[in-house]
Amino acid sequence: MSDQAAFTLTIDQNKYLPLDGREVHAILTVGSTGGLTTQAVPAEAAEVIIVDTSGSMSGSKIREARQAAVTAVQTLRDGVYFSVVSGTGSAKVVYPSGRTLSLVQANPATRAEAAKAVDRLLSYGGTAMGEWLKLAGHLLSTRPQAIKHALLMTDGQNNERADVFASVLSAWSGKFVCDCLGIGADWAPAELRKVAEAMLGTFDYVRDQGDLPEYFRRLTQASMSKTVADLSLRVWVPQAARLMFVKQVDPVLLDLTGKRADVNPLTGDYPTGSWGAEERKYHICVEVPPGQIGQEIRAGWVKLVHPDTQDVLASGNVLAQWTDDLALSTQINGNVAHYTGQAELHDLIQDGLSARAMGDVETATARLAKARDLAGASGREDTAKLLDRVVEVDPATGTARLRKNVDKEDTIELDTGSVRTSRLRREES
Amino acid sequence: MTDPQTGQHDAPGAACPVCQASVLEGDVYCEACGHALGSPVCAFCDAAAVDPEGYCERCGLRQPTDRDHAEIVLVGGAAAVTDRGLRRSRNEDAMALLASGGATVTVVCDGVGSSPRADEASEVAVETAAAALARGLSSEEAFDLAGRAVSKLATSVHDAPACTYVSAVVEPGRVTLGWAGDSRAYWMPDGTPLTTDDAVPTGEITAWLGADAVGVTLNVRTFTPRGPGHLLVCSDGLWRYLDGYAFPRAGSPLDLAREMLRHALDSGGQDNVTIVVIPLGEAHE
Repeated sequence: MSDQAAFTLTIDQNKYLPLDGREVHAILTVGSTGGLTTQAVPAEAAEVIIVDTSGSMSGSKIREARQAAVTAVQTLRDGVYFSVVSGTGSAKVVYPSGRTLSLVQANPATRAEAAKAVDRLLSYGGTAMGEWLKLAGHLLSTRPQAIKHALLMTDGQNNERADVFASVLSAWSGKFVCDCLGIGADWAPAELRKVAEAMLGTFDYVRDQGDLPEYFRRLTQASMSKTVADLSLRVWVPQAARLMFVKQVDPVLLDLTGKRADVNPLTGDYPTGSWGAEERKYHICVEVPPGQIGQEIRAGWVKLVHPDTQDVLASGNVLAQWTDDLALSTQINGNVAHYTGQAELHDLIQDGLSARAMGDVETATARLAKARDLAGASGREDTAKLLDRVVEVDPATGTARLRKNVDKEDTIELDTGSVRTSRLRREES
Repeated sequence: MTDPQTGQHDAPGAACPVCQASVLEGDVYCEACGHALGSPVCAFCDAAAVDPEGYCERCGLRQPTDRDHAEIVLVGGAAAVTDRGLRRSRNEDAMALLASGGATVTVVCDGVGSSPRADEASEVAVETAAAALARGLSSEEAFDLAGRAVSKLATSVHDAPACTYVSAVVEPGRVTLGWAGDSRAYWMPDGTPLTTDDAVPTGEITAWLGADAVGVTLNVRTFTPRGPGHLLVCSDGLWRYLDGYAFPRAGSPLDLAREMLRHALDSGGQDNVTIVVIPLGEAHE
């Protein structure tokens, strides 16, 4: 275990509970300095670039995809182990060539060879994302020590059976991080959301295909900047308590609750993927047993751990204390309220858009209008702007109605962007 | 199994009190969860699982601290108890009881609930004043030093920790009381008040120690005990429950103090409770 990165874990909460209070909320901020010390040896990195080459990618899309994949290859740092996979109804390694599964180290020569191989990609056949991810996973597994990352770029809906796809995702979840990119206006965000959530990555939509190279460059650089692999949040709660949820809430929403790996009856690990120099926030909620006035309880004991070595990189206590002083127990923690609101905004947008898609105008209008309200109030200007293109709210009466002739790309951008959260403005905290 | 008295695992096939994995005799740590075996026993759930931070690693509850409940007994029999009570999250009362030469010295301070860090105010006031009285300084001098020490805790008049004050110096044939605020002294067993509160009729105190206290002077009273009895010095956590109370008559000063604490807790324990009982007169010499 290298000690090149330093981590901090701070806990923000109102610990005071009313006498009948059971739910304890806290926002954990985990920060990493990354491995910026001069002696630090960069961690080994492995990257698989997956290009959708299914039939629907024909024409300008495959040209744009090739150009983007070449850009992704060219962004690879010297020494990074990489491979390029093309995906159709099956998956195929297009670079490096050879009979055995292996990755090759990036250098000017291998990058040029890979680019040449990418330029020969043609579009044909079906779409089976699970197959692509499986192959990427096997390729990445050939470098067990590396920080493992995949870039998945696709325009299509998945033609795999849902249960087959789900089993691939659960089998490979936590083994590598996968960022996803949807292309064009005719794809379903729900499929890429599944991948991003299972593989602890992001999914995004690039409206203008001319922006793809820049997007890949940013994503590749972000994954190349990771220096510490596979950390987990290890959360202990008291024997009689219940851990209600563990969610990443910043920079994007990601529910980790279902990803628990039991350590012992009181403790579970929640995967957070790899870390560079960055800061993330998590929201945890614990239901504690009833207590007495004045009693203080450690409702949660949170550690950032390296699950393989059991090294603890940072830790903190989530506390609760029962009081009959209402001035204390009714104080709402600014950060908890803010991120609760951001999660609610996400749910409103998701519910609103799916109600809209199913023709339930009443629900869609109500949810999206409320989302518009919340987006404005919490500093989400971009989201508010997109919502304005979908729902119209009369500022005088508050009456809302859905707009006609909505640009499909606006709804996709709204859909994919809803996982992003804003930070609490300073004056509110 | 774990012996709740010692927290030792002495039987083969014992289980870790935190994760229930089986542990072997002589193990220092649980192999499964890393818990330090033989940790102190939790006051709430009996698991030998209290960690160095004072939380039980099984039920999570914070263990009572020295300040939540404490007792002092002097060789001559004088005794003091302080307790968090049932309704407050911490004990903001503080007490000192010590013998110095031929004198018994006690100081009780009650942190003002509306001030910040009132627990620090009472603690520093008690330490400072008791040390001064033990050195032979006058009640006024001790009060003055304590006042300065409390004022130093403030970062501004709007962030001024504050506390009440009562001191007693008991020498052969003479008792000197000093007070400011609503902490009191009584004559036992008949319950005669020996102090008068600095307070308005609705109960708000008009004198206290703290950077925001203006023109506060110590009330001082000196008297000679007429017969055997006990001096009671206490905070309002006790005296709010003294209307119509029959003071206990039998037992050592510690027994008496504990009995009165029980009365305060049984009556609701709304506030922190501090009780000092010092024997007076020939009967206890």
